[in-house]
Amino acid sequence: MSDTPQTLLSVENVTLKFGGVTAISGVSFDIRKGEIRAIIGPNGAGKTSMLNCINGFYHPQEGRITYKGETRERMRPHVAASQGIARTFQNVALFRGMTTLDNIMTGRTLKMKANIFWQMLRIGPALKDEIQHREYCEEIIDFLEIEHIRKVPVGRLPYGLQKRVELARALAMQPDLLLLDEPMAGMNLEEKQDMCRFILDVNKTYGTTIALIEHDMGVVMDLSDRVVVLEYGRKIADGTPDEVKSDQKVIDAYLGVPH
Amino acid sequence: MLYRETGQYKTSYAADSVIFPIRQDRIGVMIVLAIAFVFMPLMMAFKIPPFRNDYILLAILLPFLILSLAAIGANILIGYCGQISLGSGAFMAIGAYMAYKFGTGISEIGLPPLPIVVSILLGGFSAAFVGILFGLPSLRIKGLYLAVATLAAQFFFDWVFLRVKWFTNYAPSGSVSAPELKFFGYLVSTPIEKYLVALIFVTIFALIAKNLVRGNIGRQWMAIRDMDIAAELMGIRPLVAKLTAFAVSSFIIGVAGALWAFLRLGTWEPLAFDINRSLELLFMVIIGGLGSILGSFLGAAFILILPILLIVVPAEIGLPITTETVSHLQFIIFGAMICFLLIKEPLGFARLWQIGKEKLRMWPFPY
Repeated sequence: MSDTPQTLLSVENVTLKFGGVTAISGVSFDIRKGEIRAIIGPNGAGKTSMLNCINGFYHPQEGRITYKGETRERMRPHVAASQGIARTFQNVALFRGMTTLDNIMTGRTLKMKANIFWQMLRIGPALKDEIQHREYCEEIIDFLEIEHIRKVPVGRLPYGLQKRVELARALAMQPDLLLLDEPMAGMNLEEKQDMCRFILDVNKTYGTTIALIEHDMGVVMDLSDRVVVLEYGRKIADGTPDEVKSDQKVIDAYLGVPH
Repeated sequence: MLYRETGQYKTSYAADSVIFPIRQDRIGVMIVLAIAFVFMPLMMAFKIPPFRNDYILLAILLPFLILSLAAIGANILIGYCGQISLGSGAFMAIGAYMAYKFGTGISEIGLPPLPIVVSILLGGFSAAFVGILFGLPSLRIKGLYLAVATLAAQFFFDWVFLRVKWFTNYAPSGSVSAPELKFFGYLVSTPIEKYLVALIFVTIFALIAKNLVRGNIGRQWMAIRDMDIAAELMGIRPLVAKLTAFAVSSFIIGVAGALWAFLRLGTWEPLAFDINRSLELLFMVIIGGLGSILGSFLGAAFILILPILLIVVPAEIGLPITTETVSHLQFIIFGAMICFLLIKEPLGFARLWQIGKEKLRMWPFPY
């Protein structure tokens, strides 16, 4: 974390309703530049909905989301992408018919400028684009140690590797804010350790700010700088891992309270 | 043993991203092109068997080439971008009739008859324009509902070219004839020349299509096809990606339609581009392989050649069956083969080909 914490994104009093169901009610928190921020909570607490609000997939009925000092109203997801928000999904959302490399190259799509006529002939700017961005993607492939599956269609990969490719695809966007929705769900211990290492490396090497949803408390407490806890759409705690761990409300939420 | 890329090292990303990275593939493609461009025309010119008459040329090779081109167009939309379309026949018709209008001159706006290549390309652009219009609903509707919307295009344009006399230059019979086929001052009249013209068009457009699908725009199409929500979160705009797919696909289908009308038919009426043509193209794409340029060729070959074989083979081996039985058998066997293929290999011939190649790379070792 830098010496003077700078707020990258702040969420103020956000309320999201689906008809009569209130998924998130009046939640506020902020994400500082360069930190790893975890969002935890029991199932159905509204964590994924929160991420969906942040990258413009859902539009909260009330409240404000300020990103890079700009408060936005309704925003389409591709605009969020162009502003440097990338994310991975809870259930892998890779492009199954494409190879690993193509999936990662898709992450560079906003940075490719050659028009369709150059692309038809694959010369000039189009070829330059392809090679230049391929170089960047290869860097990420090296970084995440997936060289051997470069040309394999992702549909054929095992689950752990798919998760890794998804991270690679998000990294290819060179995001300022990376949203990870349960990056370690369904992984074995070794894969989890690898993934933790990658997340920390990404944070250190690229200085990417990371917001992370995760159920493995060990992982959350080790990785994150600050944790926000949601339950039934409300924020019940916010602070460093140690503060959150000892918070009675959090313990109640996770372990239940005797009636 | 022969087909193996061991020892072929790539030292640049440019070399690694060429169309055929494996040397044996490149040699194979060269041989196929040499056969198609040099060997076949020579055989035809000297009437060496099996080219004793023009039958193979006019009934098999020419339709195969042109329908392959149309299948490439359909594959871009259906296979690469995942937007089911049943309006391919309509886009072929638009290409054909607009190329005809440009080729014979549009007197209302004082446009003289344009050169034939320009007319064909303008026919393609007209189809692309209409394709964009009919692609607009694709932002809201998906899957079968989109298929129904494109089906509307099919029936609408069937009607338009039948009823709006302007498109047929007020011909009383309703059928029109292609303008003089002069390519850059050279009059194309014999079957061999037509074959070569079609071959040149197909080669160029297949290359363009391949370049598009392995470039940025192709990845956007496939991303939309595979997972549209994730694609949008990567910064791909669904509307732009889908409409470019509609435009490129309709353009290629339109050009194929113009070629079909000018080179294959010569004189045609709207019936030549009815719903059957659309379905035929859809089958070619599905059987050949969704999302594969090679698959478009394989699918076209299968759909065209199998029925002919089913007629020719029983006659050749002297089976005493009537023509009626033959035509019924044709339907039965054809349908059964399609079902069998789709159950066994839903990704079509292109996938079979790929599996074969992967096996061949290992052969004779098991792994």
